[in-house]
Amino acid sequence: MSQELSVVGKRLTQPDGVAKATGAARYTVDIKLPGMLIGKVLRSPYPHAKIIKIDKSKAEKLPGVEAVITLEDTPKIPFASSFRDLPMAPSGALQRPDQLIFADKARCVGDGIIAVAAINESIADEALELIEVEYEKLPAVFDPEEAMKPGAPKVHDYAERNIAVHVGYPLAEGDIEKGFQEADCVVEDTFFASKQIHCQLEPEACVASFDATGKVTCWSPCQLAHPCRRELAHIFNMPEGMVRVINPFVGGSFGGRLSISAEPICIALAMKTGKPVKLEYTREEDFTVLETRTPHKYSIKMGFTKDGTLIAMQVKVVTWSGGYLGRAQLAGGITLIWGMGHYRCPNRAGEADIVYTNTTMSGAMQGYGNPAIMWGVEQVVDMAAEKLGVDPLELRLKNIKKVGEISNMGLPIESTALDECIKAGADRIGWREKRGRKKEGVMRQGVGMATMTHCSGAHPLLLEHSNAFIKFNEDGSANLIVHPGSPGTHIWGTLSQIAAEELGIRAEDIHIVTGDTDITMFDLGSHASRSTHVTGNAVLMAARQAKGQLLERAAKTLGVSPDELEVKDRQVYVKAAPEKSISVAEVVRNAIYNFKGECLNISGKCSWESKWNCPPTTAGFAEVEVDTETGEVKVVKFVVAHDCGRAINPMTVEGQAQGGIMQGIGYALTEDFVINRDTGVVESDNFTTYKIPSMLEILDTEIILVERPDPKGPFGAKGVSEPCIVTIAPAIANAIYDAVGVRVKDMPITPEKLLKALKAKSDVN
Amino acid sequence: MEKQIAKFIVNGRSYEIPIEPRMTLVEVLRDELDLTGTKYSCGVGECGSCTVLIDGKPTLSCCTLAITSKEKSILTIEGLAQGITLHPIQQAFIDYGAIQCGFCTPGMILTSKALLDENANPTREEVKEALAGNLCRCTGYVKIVDAVLAAAEAMRKGGK
Repeated sequence: MSQELSVVGKRLTQPDGVAKATGAARYTVDIKLPGMLIGKVLRSPYPHAKIIKIDKSKAEKLPGVEAVITLEDTPKIPFASSFRDLPMAPSGALQRPDQLIFADKARCVGDGIIAVAAINESIADEALELIEVEYEKLPAVFDPEEAMKPGAPKVHDYAERNIAVHVGYPLAEGDIEKGFQEADCVVEDTFFASKQIHCQLEPEACVASFDATGKVTCWSPCQLAHPCRRELAHIFNMPEGMVRVINPFVGGSFGGRLSISAEPICIALAMKTGKPVKLEYTREEDFTVLETRTPHKYSIKMGFTKDGTLIAMQVKVVTWSGGYLGRAQLAGGITLIWGMGHYRCPNRAGEADIVYTNTTMSGAMQGYGNPAIMWGVEQVVDMAAEKLGVDPLELRLKNIKKVGEISNMGLPIESTALDECIKAGADRIGWREKRGRKKEGVMRQGVGMATMTHCSGAHPLLLEHSNAFIKFNEDGSANLIVHPGSPGTHIWGTLSQIAAEELGIRAEDIHIVTGDTDITMFDLGSHASRSTHVTGNAVLMAARQAKGQLLERAAKTLGVSPDELEVKDRQVYVKAAPEKSISVAEVVRNAIYNFKGECLNISGKCSWESKWNCPPTTAGFAEVEVDTETGEVKVVKFVVAHDCGRAINPMTVEGQAQGGIMQGIGYALTEDFVINRDTGVVESDNFTTYKIPSMLEILDTEIILVERPDPKGPFGAKGVSEPCIVTIAPAIANAIYDAVGVRVKDMPITPEKLLKALKAKSDVN
Repeated sequence: MEKQIAKFIVNGRSYEIPIEPRMTLVEVLRDELDLTGTKYSCGVGECGSCTVLIDGKPTLSCCTLAITSKEKSILTIEGLAQGITLHPIQQAFIDYGAIQCGFCTPGMILTSKALLDENANPTREEVKEALAGNLCRCTGYVKIVDAVLAAAEAMRKGGK
């Protein structure tokens, strides 16, 4: 693909930059409507309890309180926060709707029991204190393995041994037993990948308002706005057309906005009071109530022949779900798909149990299962390399998939540059010089690597449907009507560059119209690194249609045929005689104000269903320094090479990558979800007890963009965002091993755990 | 609770606002003056999103009782640009891709302004130190530091 590009590939600024830099950007938490009430939720203090009696009379009498509602005031229609009917094609399974607007019994600390709406926040808080709830405490279970034991407390009646779902690896192949028998080197180990918290800076919030016709408008940060609308309509037994979801600016997501959270209670309060209601979570609620990254305990077994060929792989996963499934219910299966889909391997098998516990719900976070499983897979590969006596880099190069082989999700790979990523990253970190250096003294240095494959949209697992509509304005600019989620991924700019490139205008000529389900056509939203690829292709096709109309009209004016024309930098010109031209604006104007009986607003529309997922790949390389006296780990340098197909805007791809590195360092080293094993209370409930990286943790980073355009991507582009975090933690773990010869297999690698491992090693020696 | 009228000077304009003694500055700015560019995120001074400048000093408005800042000069993000002309720090944040979701951006920009007003030529380390109390979950911080250093240079060359 040797296209000459004018807009794509340029480091352009973002269409929402000025709004965000000046404070003009309004987020859901900034929405204020006339007469708006403030909602608050009374939450269970117990991890597992029956609700015997509720006395809300005192709260209802408090002046300024407009409603106090319980389960009895709501429709009691079961739903799934991650959407009942988000389709999983291979199994045809729907997601289990195991939630109600309020809990019928408390299944975790923080489960919503009652809500109030009052004229201001302090009255709402006071009202909560006046509500009396009588609970009957039940035995609780916090650990998924304990929860699976016979006789363990049951979180949901239907789930025997608390196992909500048992899934097999849908792409199993070969004969796993025979594979391991034939292997010369078998490595097996168990790992724990933690319950990372998103820590998006905008607290969870929703504003809901009914109009006189009974239609509800819901301002929400949900990044799957159209599916969100559908689920809300289901919960309140309303037609979809009577629900309007508006996404204001969104203050971060990282997957946390994939599920609905505050919306159902907020709408229930607005319905009850007939007034607009805002429900904003406190930071503590954000930490303790919202879905987290899904944690997994798992074992990995990999078998290699003497020459380093991977011939058998088996993964068994216990997925730690909370009191309700949320998006954890798909996390077990997808973890198997990522884990065993990365390397070529003829014999593969695996299974996962998704297990209820009396803890905060688990769900989706950047990479959705991929960072969790590659944490183990990439360490096992290093262990195998050591056993086989080969360079782990060479072992990876030998086993990674090539074009034409079958991808993690079962589709033929049409492009991959992982080999180049590995080589480029190794070169920049100084792999050969730094690996296996002599270790002496207190401070020990090491380098480690990890690789991964992801997806650009989740076809064939999910229905990857997006729409785009483009209409030209008289000035030659164009409105692009689309609805990806936009939680800070620069997708508006990316889609503008794709549209402008195809239309032959400038990126700043594209006006994005988005964030309102009454205006935008269906889009699944943003998840699975899909928007650049799937919504991007919808935009490209819509632009192509509009361009066709543009050239047809210009051709008439210029007296040539449309295929003799090209459009570039706002000008339509004859390819063979560029001096013969007409501006885009003039063509559009003449078509709109047409007095020859041929009126047309030049436009293009595309309903796009993606049939590929163009897996992006990355290779990450960490250089660390370990203090053997304190157990502290400093990540000195991180190099990551991204096979992104084509960087539509290299500056924003770098930004995503740098953000992923920082989140990955937090995941690997400091971020620790802590639950009190006696009370079930989440103790990591603020930025002091849950430590995310600050500016002081900035390290030397290098982002390498390896652009080998994918034939199916818009201008060759693949998804970028989620891959950015996947390799970070395992590369750090492997670098620590290179430095000090020990592994901490349960996240995070805290100084305490590392010191313990070092001591265990020295005791053995 | 009894309300009293207090005078606040915000972005060069004077406002007389009835406040309760318990009210924080961020509440006054966001709820009374509708200056929602100042963000409320953690509520306990851990994240820096609510940073405003009081007499030029970065201040966490979520932990500041409004009454203590009466009659002082308060600068919020809305007061930084001159009409449609952006401050060099705002421009640099845009040009260097230092803004992703944008929720930390007002606090980051104002903390940066306080730094650059005091130190026109900071080192990379000094920028990191100054902004260490402002959390960002999107960017990994690298482009923010790049932007602040670029803004410093632009300001030395005659921005403001």
